[in-house]
Amino acid sequence: MNGGPRLFSILRQGPYLIASIHTALDDSQLVRFQQDLVERIGSDRARGVVIDVAALDVLDSFASRTLRDIGEMARLRGAVTVIVGIQPDVAFAMVELGMDTGRVVTALDLEEGLAELDSCLAAPPAPRT
Amino acid sequence: MAAVEPVGSPGGDCGSADVAALIPLVRRIVASRVPDPATADDLVQETLTRVLAAAGRVEPGMLEPYAIVTARNVVTSMWRDQDRQRRHQHRVVDLRPPEAPDEDVLAREDRAAVAEALTRLSDRERATLLAHEVSGQDTRSLAAELGSTAGAVAAQLNRTRARLRVEYLLVSERVEPPTERCRPVLLAISSGDRRRQREVDAARHLLECGLCARLSEPLVGRGRSRDDAVRVAVRTDADVVAARQAAREVATRLGFSTTDVTLIATAVSEITRNIVRFADSGEVVVTELQEPRRGISIVARDAGPGIPDVDQALQDGYSTYHGLGLGLPGARRLMDEFAVVSETGRGTTVTMTKWRGEG
Repeated sequence: MNGGPRLFSILRQGPYLIASIHTALDDSQLVRFQQDLVERIGSDRARGVVIDVAALDVLDSFASRTLRDIGEMARLRGAVTVIVGIQPDVAFAMVELGMDTGRVVTALDLEEGLAELDSCLAAPPAPRT
Repeated sequence: MAAVEPVGSPGGDCGSADVAALIPLVRRIVASRVPDPATADDLVQETLTRVLAAAGRVEPGMLEPYAIVTARNVVTSMWRDQDRQRRHQHRVVDLRPPEAPDEDVLAREDRAAVAEALTRLSDRERATLLAHEVSGQDTRSLAAELGSTAGAVAAQLNRTRARLRVEYLLVSERVEPPTERCRPVLLAISSGDRRRQREVDAARHLLECGLCARLSEPLVGRGRSRDDAVRVAVRTDADVVAARQAAREVATRLGFSTTDVTLIATAVSEITRNIVRFADSGEVVVTELQEPRRGISIVARDAGPGIPDVDQALQDGYSTYHGLGLGLPGARRLMDEFAVVSETGRGTTVTMTKWRGEG
């Protein structure tokens, strides 16, 4: 769709995928991110996904919904999703906006996110998220 | 801002002291006529130099009136020089490549268009305009003839020029405005009169009327735009990001906390997305507010289908596409003031404001 610098990257790390968003994405770029990521979960046979959203300037209703959908799709594809790097101001705005964010697993940063994935996958009878 | 150094002036010490006493007076006279401080300073210096040079010749008591007259003359001659330069500018830059074959025809069409546009003015407007622009009669003598003041004549001339621009564009495009609202809107834009533009709701009309949007393009650049307002045209997803970043920049400049900046950007994102999703195109205007408190005002406007039931659209969870239904109600929660005006078939305007908190 567009050349230029990459807007996000999806890297493999053992059984996990690390997806980083590099800049503020518009809606269609977010949808493309979602498609690419769900595809990669299958092709890489990933068991877990960490999405780093630290570079997103806002998480408005569409972005939140897309992230929630990714989590749901990944779950159906057999992977656990953890979202990391939500900035304090962004978190504040999300709550004020009235976003229902309960079902998404989050962690503070990448390290915590990977640790979260490890613990989720180490305990197989984990509650279905 | 160099101080006046009357080195070896013929007036001697006594004269230069008198002249120095005149500085505030001269400054005031020049400043009231010339807005640009650097130019004004130059003119003050020039006036003082002249007064100093003449100090020996002028009677002591007459030095003040002499300085006043000199200051006026200096300002007037600067204006005259500027005017002459402007008038002769085309001779300096006339380095165009040899005439294109159609240039003559185009020039003739252009002349015909101007002539035609002139006939659409009222007799009085046309006579005054021609006397001023073609015969070079100044506003004061015109005012004397018309039994008016120079300022009123100048204002009248400005209005006439604005009309002439509009008529010229209409003639040269060979179109008649499709609606009754077109001409007043174009006129308001041409004269750069923001109050009038608001009165006739020019921004909305430009979204609705393709002809006026096209015609107004050369006119918009003329009126001095306020630099505390940022306008973002919205058509695609990418413009949503552009709009929220514009709002973010203005809010940051106004000294909002980073939390508030993110709240504002999120709200802008929500309402701008509505434009892209429902109306195809529109605009977002971000304005700085100073009164009654510092704040930011965001107006999102579109000429889309409108919202049939605004109250319902402001309910949580109401969504006409597969969204969260948080767009309008969410944005309302993020801002201090929030208003939606929508008319079915004509479009929607969302106006929202956030005031800067104390401290």
